[in-house]
Amino acid sequence: MAFDLTVNRTVYHVEADSLTPLLWVIREHLGLTGTKFSCGIGQCGACTLHIDGRPVRSCSVPASTAVGKPVLTIEGLSADGNHPLQIAWTEFDAPQCGYCQSGMIMSALALLQQRPSPTDADIDTQVTNACRCGTYHRVRQAIHRAAALMKAQP
Amino acid sequence: MSDTIKEGVDRREFLATVAAAHGAFVLGFWVPSRAAAQSAPAASWDEEPSTPEVNAWIVIAPDDTVTVRIAQTELGQGVWTSNAMMVCEELQCDWKKVRPQYASANRDARERAPEWTLNVPGSGATDPKGGGEPTFGTRDPRGISGIPDSLYRRMRTNAASSVKDGRYYLQLAGAEARERLLLAAAQRWSVPVAELTAKDSVITHARSGRTTTYGKIAEDAAKIPHPHPEQITIKSPDQWTLMGTEQKNLDVPQKVTGKVVYGIDVRLPGMKWAAVKTCPVYGGDVKSVDFDVIRTLPGVRSFVRFPIPDPDLTRGRIFSGGVAVIADSWYQAKMAIDKMPIEWTIPPENAAFNSANMREALLTALDRPGTVRASQGDIDDGFRRAAKIVEATYSTPYLPRARMEPGNATVLITNDRVDIWIGDQSPQETRYSAAKITGVPEQNVHLHLCHLGGGFGRNGNGPQAEHAIMIANANRGVPIHMLWTREEDFVGTTYRAMGMARLRAGLDADGWPIALEVRTGMQADGFGSDASFNTTSRYYVPNYRYTHHTTKFHVPVGTRRGVGQAANEFYRESFMDELARAAGKDPYLYRRELLSRTTLPYKNDMIKALDLAAEMSGWGTPLPRGTARAIALEERGAETNGMATISAMVHTVSISRDGKVRLERVDVAHETGFGLVNPLSVKKQIEGQIIWFYNDAMHQSCSIADGRIVENNFNRFPISRINEDPPQINIRFFPTQHWLIGMGHDRATSVQSGIGEAIFQITGKRFRDLPYSKHDLTWA
Repeated sequence: MAFDLTVNRTVYHVEADSLTPLLWVIREHLGLTGTKFSCGIGQCGACTLHIDGRPVRSCSVPASTAVGKPVLTIEGLSADGNHPLQIAWTEFDAPQCGYCQSGMIMSALALLQQRPSPTDADIDTQVTNACRCGTYHRVRQAIHRAAALMKAQP
Repeated sequence: MSDTIKEGVDRREFLATVAAAHGAFVLGFWVPSRAAAQSAPAASWDEEPSTPEVNAWIVIAPDDTVTVRIAQTELGQGVWTSNAMMVCEELQCDWKKVRPQYASANRDARERAPEWTLNVPGSGATDPKGGGEPTFGTRDPRGISGIPDSLYRRMRTNAASSVKDGRYYLQLAGAEARERLLLAAAQRWSVPVAELTAKDSVITHARSGRTTTYGKIAEDAAKIPHPHPEQITIKSPDQWTLMGTEQKNLDVPQKVTGKVVYGIDVRLPGMKWAAVKTCPVYGGDVKSVDFDVIRTLPGVRSFVRFPIPDPDLTRGRIFSGGVAVIADSWYQAKMAIDKMPIEWTIPPENAAFNSANMREALLTALDRPGTVRASQGDIDDGFRRAAKIVEATYSTPYLPRARMEPGNATVLITNDRVDIWIGDQSPQETRYSAAKITGVPEQNVHLHLCHLGGGFGRNGNGPQAEHAIMIANANRGVPIHMLWTREEDFVGTTYRAMGMARLRAGLDADGWPIALEVRTGMQADGFGSDASFNTTSRYYVPNYRYTHHTTKFHVPVGTRRGVGQAANEFYRESFMDELARAAGKDPYLYRRELLSRTTLPYKNDMIKALDLAAEMSGWGTPLPRGTARAIALEERGAETNGMATISAMVHTVSISRDGKVRLERVDVAHETGFGLVNPLSVKKQIEGQIIWFYNDAMHQSCSIADGRIVENNFNRFPISRINEDPPQINIRFFPTQHWLIGMGHDRATSVQSGIGEAIFQITGKRFRDLPYSKHDLTWA
């Protein structure tokens, strides 16, 4: 079937089974490969993106869920990699292999939108993405730094 | 056997499509001509640069951009940056203008290494001016170590060896290029080369006040013959200016914007997708499939059935027979293969294995005489004279790497050429497999290397490439992107072997060991079984015997982060804690005294590591009830005076009364050797390995039932999250006088013994089987 998706402020016309998980429509039909596949069962969070401002594990929701709602992926976070989260991530050299980091950043974005000054406990509760390289130590510091950068913005 | 796609494009047509479409494909792909390369988007696998290279590692563009070719795979360890640093240090180019690019594995099959890279300078592990002790294997007929002296020598990314093996020739490559750039400038200006200096990509002739840049002279330098060998020496650490400084990883900006191209992200014109199922019991094969059931499902094209091939074709990297379904999209292929009836032929002897009977088999093996790996003194006499005997048996489970990116590869095969897009820890070996499976010579196999979403073991690649090659071989002319599901990734991988160890010590009346017997056991093909106990005991004991005991299991095993050392240091350091308790002595001072009694060449470095970690942690200062500290030594190579890496860690652990464990703080004392190339990457690797071995200690195991791996996704195979990350990680480096053997895979093994010792201190219970989460950790 055919439907429209609005991803990163662009409207895409998609022809796919509407039960296809949003992840695969984003990666295969739209060619936005920054959002990653890893477990396929909504566990690890590598596929995290936002639907209507809320973080979603896109491997486990049908694409139809996103019809009529804005979708934001890592590619839409900033025009040139200068979102405070991206700046903070770079400052702490947070990624190792980097594969989980798109999802990690999108989870952190959801946290900061909800709690502009998160505590460590907030981070523990809301950033539940899995990282096999063990980047958590720098990710935590980067989230606090990004929070400070976002508050400093006009 | 298999349907093939009728509408495949031939090689010429494919290349024409590529050439016409290059503007539209942001991911880029192989381009055949220099002209196309100039207009194609910047991709890491362009093979023919528009500017002539200075040497096989270095291309300098007219705008002074320096492309450094990296022969190892970036999988999070920072090699993309550290290898480039080693070249840049000697080249004396502007670091801000350095761009890494993957070296060509195809060219590696066609060219021999330059002669100036073949001799390691200096005199080994303890010569600061030299190249250390790189360990290149010799040519294995199955291609395990690549073609001897092939252009890039070792393209494997394994055993934490990228700096150890590559440093001398990467420094030489930078020095060689610098000298030729200087010679070219001297020739152009007709001045003696000795009057020229080079810094930050600028060549200066002070006497005449002339300057030029590398970019302006590079084309001339490419024509300059190789300079006199005396002119290309490598800098010793006291001369380093870039190496030894903390440098952020060059690819982080791409990693925070989703722009890095992993193998899974490769897209080609006309590409079809393949989903795979292999027999869930290793050694099994497909009995029958019914493709007609799914033939008409949306997007479905065909299927390919592949048996277990001759092990020689794939170096034994295919463990079970399987089937692939090919469709227009991967999700269609996956949905279809899930609906396709498949019957398996399962060897009954393999289906009879389960964790309990495998454990029994290992225990039985430990009771039998083993292979003697070390024997000193007379342990029988030692035990006869002992005032006290301590014995403990430990076990570690099967463990997969479970990297985040599931196995995948994209392959296009025509009659005379193979192209493979893949994140690969062993491209030379994949090249070999491709040639064997397809009949296309290795010289016509092209690998387009991608970043890897985690590695953690060089066999972590296999058999993803081989699966994709077999599928593409049945569909020549069509690019096939094969992707495993997470569940398939657990079946397709090799494991760290399940292991057991029995340690027995006789203590004298003062509590010092006078006899130590170590028995380790794992399946016969397990890797790294001799680490940590080989040659001689690291802790002094006059009578020592180490034997290894094996049995046969069907689970395929390979190298996994830490290899045998991860399990063996868990056994060794756990037992040291038990001996210290039995002797009534402080576990730190007990270790320290036993190290000081040895004649090991690096014993002072090991003592220094223990002292520093203890001091950093506030060892001996009071802790609240429910919190404990444990210390341990980590070493690789400390049994001889060769290359080695030594560290010590103190783990501060709390346990709530309801049994919730928290690793609160880790104090790390780590040697630098003569010098760390990128200390920032070293810190990140230590942080990451703390999490890795925390998971091994607390959460992770794969069990076997009816011959199958039970835990095959992250719901049953847990990965710790940020809420379990230690709030404090303190790292301090101390200088030592040898080159390091590597530190990317076997640091922080002590988390395992450390948590075990803390559990004992807090709960009074000693657990010797990992992971600890399966035990009752509550206390009153």
